[in-house]
Amino acid sequence: MAALAWLEPLWAYSFMQRALLGCVLLSLSAAPVGVFLMLRRMSLTGDAMAHAILPGAAVGFLISGLSLGAMTLGGIVAGLVVAVASGLVARSTVLREDTSLAAFYLLSLALGVLIISTYGSQVDLLHVLFGTVLALDDAALALLLGITLITLLAMRLLYRALVLECLDPDFLRAHSPRWSALAHYGFLVLVVINLVAGFHALGTLMAVAIMVLPAAAARFWVRRIGSLLWLAPALALLCCVAGLLLSYHADWPTSPAIVIALGALWLLSMILGRFGVWRQRSVSAVHLKG
Amino acid sequence: MHHLSLFCPAGSKLAIVGPNGAGKSTLLRALAGQLRPLTGRIDGLAGQRVAYLPQTPQIDRSFPVTVQDMVQYGLWHQSGALGRWTSAQRQRCLEALASVGLQGFERRTIDTLSGGQFQRALFARLILQDADLLLLDEPFAAVDEGTTLDLLQLLERWRAAGKTVLVVLHDLSLVRRHFAHTLLLAREPIAFGATAAVLTPANLRRAMNMREAFDEAAPWCEAEAEPAAHGLDAHGHEHVHAHGHGHGHEVHGPGRSAQPPRPQVQAAPAGAAGVH
Amino acid sequence: MKRRIFGQGLVAGLGLAGVGGAAWATATPAALPVVASFSILGDLVQQVGGERVQLTQLIGPDSDAHVFQPRPAHARLVGQARLVFSNGLGFEGWMPRLLQSANFRGQHVVLSRGIEPLRNPGHGHRHAHGHGHGHDHGEHDPHAWQNVAHVRVYVRNIADALCAADAAGCDFYRQRAQAYDAVLAQLDAEIRAAWAPIEVAQRRVIVAHDAFAYYGQAYNVRFMAARGVIADSEPTARGIARLVQQIREERIRALFVENVTDPRLIEQIGRETGLRPAGRLYSDALSAPGGTAPTYVEMLRHNTQALTRAVAGI
Repeated sequence: MAALAWLEPLWAYSFMQRALLGCVLLSLSAAPVGVFLMLRRMSLTGDAMAHAILPGAAVGFLISGLSLGAMTLGGIVAGLVVAVASGLVARSTVLREDTSLAAFYLLSLALGVLIISTYGSQVDLLHVLFGTVLALDDAALALLLGITLITLLAMRLLYRALVLECLDPDFLRAHSPRWSALAHYGFLVLVVINLVAGFHALGTLMAVAIMVLPAAAARFWVRRIGSLLWLAPALALLCCVAGLLLSYHADWPTSPAIVIALGALWLLSMILGRFGVWRQRSVSAVHLKG
Repeated sequence: MHHLSLFCPAGSKLAIVGPNGAGKSTLLRALAGQLRPLTGRIDGLAGQRVAYLPQTPQIDRSFPVTVQDMVQYGLWHQSGALGRWTSAQRQRCLEALASVGLQGFERRTIDTLSGGQFQRALFARLILQDADLLLLDEPFAAVDEGTTLDLLQLLERWRAAGKTVLVVLHDLSLVRRHFAHTLLLAREPIAFGATAAVLTPANLRRAMNMREAFDEAAPWCEAEAEPAAHGLDAHGHEHVHAHGHGHGHEVHGPGRSAQPPRPQVQAAPAGAAGVH
Repeated sequence: MKRRIFGQGLVAGLGLAGVGGAAWATATPAALPVVASFSILGDLVQQVGGERVQLTQLIGPDSDAHVFQPRPAHARLVGQARLVFSNGLGFEGWMPRLLQSANFRGQHVVLSRGIEPLRNPGHGHRHAHGHGHGHDHGEHDPHAWQNVAHVRVYVRNIADALCAADAAGCDFYRQRAQAYDAVLAQLDAEIRAAWAPIEVAQRRVIVAHDAFAYYGQAYNVRFMAARGVIADSEPTARGIARLVQQIREERIRALFVENVTDPRLIEQIGRETGLRPAGRLYSDALSAPGGTAPTYVEMLRHNTQALTRAVAGI
């Protein structure tokens, strides 16, 4: 069948199979995290985090040379420090998360540049650190698998507390300050590990895009948090497949192809989705009987 | 606020009124455990469930949950963060929604509710919380009259069921019609007891003349030894007892002028209707 | 001999640390301060200039020139130099701005003048997402140094420039250039001899990025790259699949990683085709002084040896 032939590259080459597996894992893991990220109005965290991990990677490089493992680990540590610090500031001062995160990531980036300049390496660390979806080796796949399992487990445990943290944080804090803190910081930890693992395996563009775009698109189709949490990964996976096939058949670079697929889906959803622009315009404001 | 010493038995309903800045919200927050008294203490809350509805709850109205999802959280005290909601619990939630007049609204998302409907939903959550002490701060502020009357009936049912309900209100006509007991607060208690005796023009004038909220140079009063705390009264009811200086005012400043007269705080209401 | 290596080691160290140099013991007090843009050119300049020049390199060994970002220390170095040697052909996109900001009053020598450049395959570059690069690929492939014949032209240009800047040492420079030219001529012959027993049809190699076009042109070897001319441009699934197909169909045996790029993509191709990377090639930078390719001559020799052995199936 013609349709099947079109899909054939996905299983004809082992590097495509690996790419697909990597996409499956990251979709399952990062997209649900991205749903909460969007609802907490922290969608720009991804970009900030890509810069914030620099000093960690730099220290990893200084200790172990061009070892991807050391640099990724260093990146995770730096990312966690920045995320937790900005979460702490947001919870205990007048500043909200967006400002505290911006402040810390800038500090972190500057520190990273300083470290690198002082020790004079001309290798662009972040370029070495960021992978590509077509080059997923066993270590990268194992990392993605680990992160996915951790994330799914954590989401299962934290789900109710996390929803309440977003919905009515004072209520949660009054009932259980421990779960309040756990949800708040636990979520930040999930964001960081998903992002850094994503950077390592797939590069910044894809890692951030898979977190942010599917959630944004799903929002135009369903209204409940539970539905968002399964629709976003499904959409992510769909666009990854589309992007991989585009990269093959149209000879496009892979990460941009996947991200363009995600972006196109988002635009379409915004216009045609059940809660998108077009459908909402034709629904007059319904006054509910009180 | 300061110099407040009062107790409320179980099964009572108290309105708290006063001008802006009088410390009414502060009092509720202290009772809810969000603020600690600078001096004095709060007794009788150990082992009690306290439900607090703030004036402007920081609830994200755009969050994609249904009414049932939101109200169901009222049963957190039973299931915690990890337990699944049982069908019995779901049923209770639906019953709570019905009792506030929101039957049929379970599957609606909260962003589709009007102000009155949302407030009813919050009350449904309060029902599920099954607290012994309920602290409500201006719960009818943005709510229509019909809803207000319905919710006031709910308050009365709670009182009859043996709960203690403290409600901050600004609508004095509402207080006169529905609350037997009132506390008039203007940083310090002006009057406490039967509503008719409290809401006299003289008292209200005194409350309106409260300078402290607006005038940083107003004289402060001194701290003093407080009367001993009461535990259970003769009937064996548990009391909520709050006294002492609340948040905000402390002890001496240098060169203060003469102190204002000590307020007459009744330890028990003077009126015939006892507080039980 | 020892002094030259010592000098190079020092120079490499300076390049690594990126700080300006006090005069070093190897240079005579009246040494001509010169700057070379990266390690390969640095080696050439040192060969010709000897101890009459005090050389610093902007980009040291094992470093990726594609992502170089000039710093104030570099501007200071450049400002103090009489000559700046760069490759040209778009390799050092950041150079004009650096020279301007350093208030450079000396002579900027573009070493690729006089050679016939190759066009960039797939003219119009692809940029990777993320960090800005000071490096833009225009219409020409800049990796001209991979062809020894071109490097002989480079050396002539170096000698001319040094003579113009330092007439007193002209004889010295010409002499050294001539001696080195002889070495290069011999190297060229060596390379041709190494490839001679291998059939042209067999001379196919997979590399990480398109840095060896000039080598391929000179010695009749076909290089196929996983990425384009820019070391960090994004690969396409089709491109990789095509390579894999080619490897299978043409039974290509030679697969190489490079010293400045991420090896994972090449390893992936290797996994797909059952090939193991046969070693690493030096494309855009020399190795550190103790390494396998600390000078240009050794770099070409190492590359050639690795390539011929892999292709021949050893």
